[in-house]
Amino acid sequence: MATELRLKELSKKEELFTHGHRLCAGCGAPIIVKMVLLASEYPVIACSSTGCLEVSSCISEYTAWKIPWIHSAFENAAATIAGVESMYKALKKKGRADKEIKFVTFCGDGGTYDIGLQSLSGAMERGHDMLYICYDNGAYMNTGIQRSSATPLGADTTTSPAGSVVPGKLQQRKDLTKIMAAHNIPYAAQASPSHWLDLMKKVRKALKIKGPKFMNILSPCNRGWRSRTDDAIMLSRLAVQTCYWPLYEVEDGVTRITFKPKEKKPIVDFLKPQGRFKHLFNPENEWIIKKFQEMTDKEWELLLKSS
Amino acid sequence: MREKLFLKGNEVIAEAAINACCRFYAGYPITPQNEIPEYMSHRMEEVRGVFIQAESELAAINMVYGASAAGARAMTSSSSPGISLKQEAISYLAGAELPAVIVNIQRGGPGLGNISGSQADYLQAVKGGGHGDYKLLVYAPYNLQEMWDLTMLAFDKADEYRNPVMILGDGVIGQMMEPFFPTPYVKPDLPEKDWSLTGCKGREPRVIKSLYMGEGELERRNQIFQEKYLTMKEIEVRYESVDVDDSEIIIVAFGIAARIALSSVRRLRREGLKVGLFRPITLFPFPEKKLSVLAEENRRFITIEMNAGQMVEDVRLAINGKSEVMFYGRPGGAIFTPEEIYEKIKTVY
Repeated sequence: MATELRLKELSKKEELFTHGHRLCAGCGAPIIVKMVLLASEYPVIACSSTGCLEVSSCISEYTAWKIPWIHSAFENAAATIAGVESMYKALKKKGRADKEIKFVTFCGDGGTYDIGLQSLSGAMERGHDMLYICYDNGAYMNTGIQRSSATPLGADTTTSPAGSVVPGKLQQRKDLTKIMAAHNIPYAAQASPSHWLDLMKKVRKALKIKGPKFMNILSPCNRGWRSRTDDAIMLSRLAVQTCYWPLYEVEDGVTRITFKPKEKKPIVDFLKPQGRFKHLFNPENEWIIKKFQEMTDKEWELLLKSS
Repeated sequence: MREKLFLKGNEVIAEAAINACCRFYAGYPITPQNEIPEYMSHRMEEVRGVFIQAESELAAINMVYGASAAGARAMTSSSSPGISLKQEAISYLAGAELPAVIVNIQRGGPGLGNISGSQADYLQAVKGGGHGDYKLLVYAPYNLQEMWDLTMLAFDKADEYRNPVMILGDGVIGQMMEPFFPTPYVKPDLPEKDWSLTGCKGREPRVIKSLYMGEGELERRNQIFQEKYLTMKEIEVRYESVDVDDSEIIIVAFGIAARIALSSVRRLRREGLKVGLFRPITLFPFPEKKLSVLAEENRRFITIEMNAGQMVEDVRLAINGKSEVMFYGRPGGAIFTPEEIYEKIKTVY
């Protein structure tokens, strides 16, 4: 029987991503993995592409995963899990397996937005029965905070360093959730660990749907965002409240916003606590904050119109 | 001579490239070579060059293909798994005769392996790596002075031969710091790039390609390539020998393994053991002639590599049965100590 999505009930459930992983204190990724696995009503086989979560959860002979978990390379988590899913489907067809198992990936933004986009797009189009989860921390944190196409405008990274000539990353981040929704898959959604119930409901809904599903989950990284170690939930909440990271889902082409902030906070509230945006508060970079606000407003308006 | 500089190995490569007038760099994050793209991201800006962080290794190497075709001195860098991804385009570069410098700061493999220094990409580097009959000129620096000098040389040789050149380093040498002399770059007298695609207004259009479908066409192209590789074998061989003349055992090692072995050789010599070191600096072309000559006298060889035995195949081919060739290796990103090599030589001496 499914556990009710209530803290009291969930606290009794076994955690399938356990202590012993080497992720940094205050990292968003393990929080997300725990929430997703707690939300699932089915057994899960997971896959991760190369990244923080992968290297930190399978050091030497140890693993933090209490479920079957597979990793192959950086660019192909969607292809790898598609292979596992296809094999399981074949076993079912032959009558050699009958369990309802769910196939889920947990990949960072580098392995999703950038090098992994081809295999992700292919898997979604072919229609594998899988849920692809991207934990988006907005840079290549594992290799030392290099910019990715998920890195927000203006952010200071080791390959988009802020200096006197260039004020950090010059490009706007890719809107991956919309790209995935444009694959006309049955379910695409955006979530944040600050809104845990919303996140878990979305996972639960996604896992009930047959076919390819995608979820983009914001994952604060204090090393890369240059924030305090205990700010992950606060920052992900601010991302939602400023509409930088709107919570919504696209189900069979219909967009539904799952959380509308009563009062939309200015984007500076999200930028200010993060050292990666520190230089934006110098007078010569004010235009970036202005542009950031305009972009956020425009995207929020578009989302409101489409829902 | 300017003053000594104190930098990290990876930064030495990046600065040497800038010094050798490289103005196009495309890369992608992978440990243990991240200092190269990170350094390039601000340094290229200063020299008005181009730095691009691509969305994958495939994109980075293909950007180099494009930049090189347009006549730029172009470079990319990566580490073992990323170099595997680049192989298709490296073959295309060789097939289209495009100069480029490719840096491989090797890590332990196979697969994701680890991020420790390794020499397990030797065969991939010297035997082609990608598809088709082609060779890269491969330099194996063993200290930061050589990182500096060979990187600059790599750009000249790439242009001279219209061929990709590889700097084969490893995680140890890429990450370590030591002083070196930043010898100034003196550009040699190289022919104009009269093949590059710079806009054909006022001249005949040019073609750069690796597709040759006509009867016998590709075979003729391949013969030209083979002649080029033969020329490299004649004049580009580089090596260093230490105490080999009177030695009874010669250690053959390259890159960081040679650096470690050198300490062992010095200790063994102090104890009166006649041990020498032969260090190939170019891995292709391989210094096979010199090894063959050394094998004519009564001595034995031991190849020491941070892999399960790769260069030893080339050493055996060069020596061709004239002397005994032993092997000692540590695969999987394991690094030997000078004591370990010392003990090993003592047991076989």
